[in-house]
Amino acid sequence: MNLNLTTDKTHRYDAIVVGSGMTGGIAAKELTQKGLRVLVIERGREVKHIDDYDTAMKAPWEIQHRDKVPVRSAEELWANNRFVGMAQDDKAGFMTNDQQNPYVEKRPFDWIRAYHTGGKSMHWGRQTYRWNPADFEANAKEGIGVDWPIRYTDLAPWYTYIEKFVGVSGQAEQLAVLPDSHFLPPMPMSPPERFFRETMKQKLNRPVTIGRVANLTQPQPWHTALGRASCQFRNKCSRGCPYGAYYSSLSGAIPAARATNRLDILHDSIAAELIYDDKTGRATGVRVVNQHTLAVTDYSARIIFLNAGSMNTAALLLNSRSSRFPNGLGNDSDQVGRNIMDHHLGAGANATIEGFEEDLMYGQRPNALYIPRFRNWGSDRQTTYLRGFGYQGGASRSDWKRGVAMDGFGASFKQQMTQPGAWTIGFGGFGEVLPNPNNRMYLDPVKKDKWGVPLIVFDAAFGENEIAMRKDMMNSAAEMLDAAGFKNITGNNRQDVHLGLGIHEMGTARMGKDPKTSVLNKFNQVHDCKNVFVTDGAAMASSSCVNPSLTYMALTARAANYAVDQLTKKNL
Amino acid sequence: MNRRNALSHISLLLGSTLSAPTLLAMDRRGRHQRVPGGFTLTSDQRSLVATVAELIIPKTDTPGAIEVGVPAFIEMMLQDCYLQPEHQSFVAGVEQLQQAGFLSQSTADQTETLRRLEAETKELMKAYQVQQTKMGDNEDKELMKKQATGLPFWRLMKELTLLGYFTSEAGLQASFNYVPIPGKYELIKLKPGQKNYAY
Repeated sequence: MNLNLTTDKTHRYDAIVVGSGMTGGIAAKELTQKGLRVLVIERGREVKHIDDYDTAMKAPWEIQHRDKVPVRSAEELWANNRFVGMAQDDKAGFMTNDQQNPYVEKRPFDWIRAYHTGGKSMHWGRQTYRWNPADFEANAKEGIGVDWPIRYTDLAPWYTYIEKFVGVSGQAEQLAVLPDSHFLPPMPMSPPERFFRETMKQKLNRPVTIGRVANLTQPQPWHTALGRASCQFRNKCSRGCPYGAYYSSLSGAIPAARATNRLDILHDSIAAELIYDDKTGRATGVRVVNQHTLAVTDYSARIIFLNAGSMNTAALLLNSRSSRFPNGLGNDSDQVGRNIMDHHLGAGANATIEGFEEDLMYGQRPNALYIPRFRNWGSDRQTTYLRGFGYQGGASRSDWKRGVAMDGFGASFKQQMTQPGAWTIGFGGFGEVLPNPNNRMYLDPVKKDKWGVPLIVFDAAFGENEIAMRKDMMNSAAEMLDAAGFKNITGNNRQDVHLGLGIHEMGTARMGKDPKTSVLNKFNQVHDCKNVFVTDGAAMASSSCVNPSLTYMALTARAANYAVDQLTKKNL
Repeated sequence: MNRRNALSHISLLLGSTLSAPTLLAMDRRGRHQRVPGGFTLTSDQRSLVATVAELIIPKTDTPGAIEVGVPAFIEMMLQDCYLQPEHQSFVAGVEQLQQAGFLSQSTADQTETLRRLEAETKELMKAYQVQQTKMGDNEDKELMKKQATGLPFWRLMKELTLLGYFTSEAGLQASFNYVPIPGKYELIKLKPGQKNYAY
């Protein structure tokens, strides 16, 4: 590891941010805007916003295999391909080659990765929800895991701050379970969806709202200034948006950070370990391996933000061993790598809708409906599981694809396929996963990748709480569709889902009040190495059931603000 | 299902199409290897596939399957996106039609043959779905997937014909109102017979 080691003045920065994705982008933006010279270390290739979205404007016939996955992609992207669509031609080029970046599954773990500028923020589902105050209190009340060292009020101003910056379309509803964000105008519902919303309100007293989504419906001046424009309703977001209409690190945070002229981004560079100085009790820098040349270079900085993605962030801590931290930097508590959480999905129901034959929605909405958590909330008490789930889904008219499973062929069948088919509706749950120290990842003691970095071993699985919740996720969806009078209701509860498939993997370096049982303090600082901040999903002490990116970004902005304040006060 | 059973199951399905040497060759193959040489069709088989595709999507006042290149699309897709089970079930279906003298039948008889095939496929699909469900629960599902029964010929043929046609440039443009950049999302009222949009 000491071959080709070089270090000189050009490798010194005020701050290093490991990772350029959802939270790395925000860290880079906040730190540069507050005057720091920042180096972002990105392990993957450079993707240039707009220029490199090579499939974004392709017509259906220009995508060779359409929505089918070639066998070669399925093999190369053996993990990514577990999530429907990730290995399709239009985005396979942006997803990590799993054969070249292997990991070990002691128990199955669906690890979806995108190693390039912007990371998974290029491909995210863009659903954007605040946690509610009870989410931060549940661990303490129920005696699960550790208590959060912060509460909703600590994060609320940072939620607002991030929401304004990224742009969140949604409908204010004044619900305690789902606090409103700072919204851009909501996207419309279709007539059957409006019918469903009204019926659920009347019959079950359950709110149904339009999804809260990070697509610009009415760009504000600060969005336009970054070159971002209105959503064009193509629903091809995951290819990268040439209009910059949905928020990603590529369309938002990185351009904002670049505008300060204080940002350098190092691509194709794997952060292998943090360098720790016993005398000062601080991390002094990051040791980086070049993807292609394998050259090793050290970069130093006064503060280091870890935003490599929850699993890689934990791996980086575990691989940073020193006499002070023999089990990995910040791992006195033995909690680094433990408590893997996610949101479990793949359980719900769908149905067909009669009527509404004259109604068609023009355009493709990159969004769905949202049904906030109603379980173990208010007067509802479940006996078989704790916490709850939210549903995402909606109604649409079927297209020619309905012809595959139906009878018929020939001239009249061909003609029929050119017309819209019946309305269908479906919902799938996103369920909270409880922290469990036995759900963990660790470094393989023997196996290393071609860069000399130990492979990650996953040893985690859903517990009884999740399994019980999934049954209800299926049954309650079916009940709601039935209550709305819809037909041909089919429930589903996929059995081939593992932790990771929600692509909300988190929890491997949790925040907490006590250094004995947690890794980070209330400002995301490593307890005993205060100039290292972890602000990606690794920091999470519980998972709530709402999509996490907004919370990660808010925690990042808050921690960056604190870090710069501490630097100014010479406390770091 | 163990490997020996899986192989004999395949040979049963395919009837006489797998010779003893082929079975021996399959037995020598490594468990995870793909079929050497992949998937190919003879020129007679290509004609048959084209004829069936054109019966599914015939030329009317808009182009048919052959005109927009569906037959070559089907072969390319089978080569690139499917494994041995589908290669075998597809060829088995083609050979079954060859043996029935499909290409020398009248159009009416061909249509009738395909209607029967469609009805039979419905039953096969039920069994296939049960098999897929079981596989979903199995630790060894990658191996099972490669040994499993392929999707029935008619299902593959119909799916790939519709996919190839309705996403081809000429087929899509002729069938739908193509709007690559809608720019908005709003309710419209359909007029009788109005074409769907494609994006």
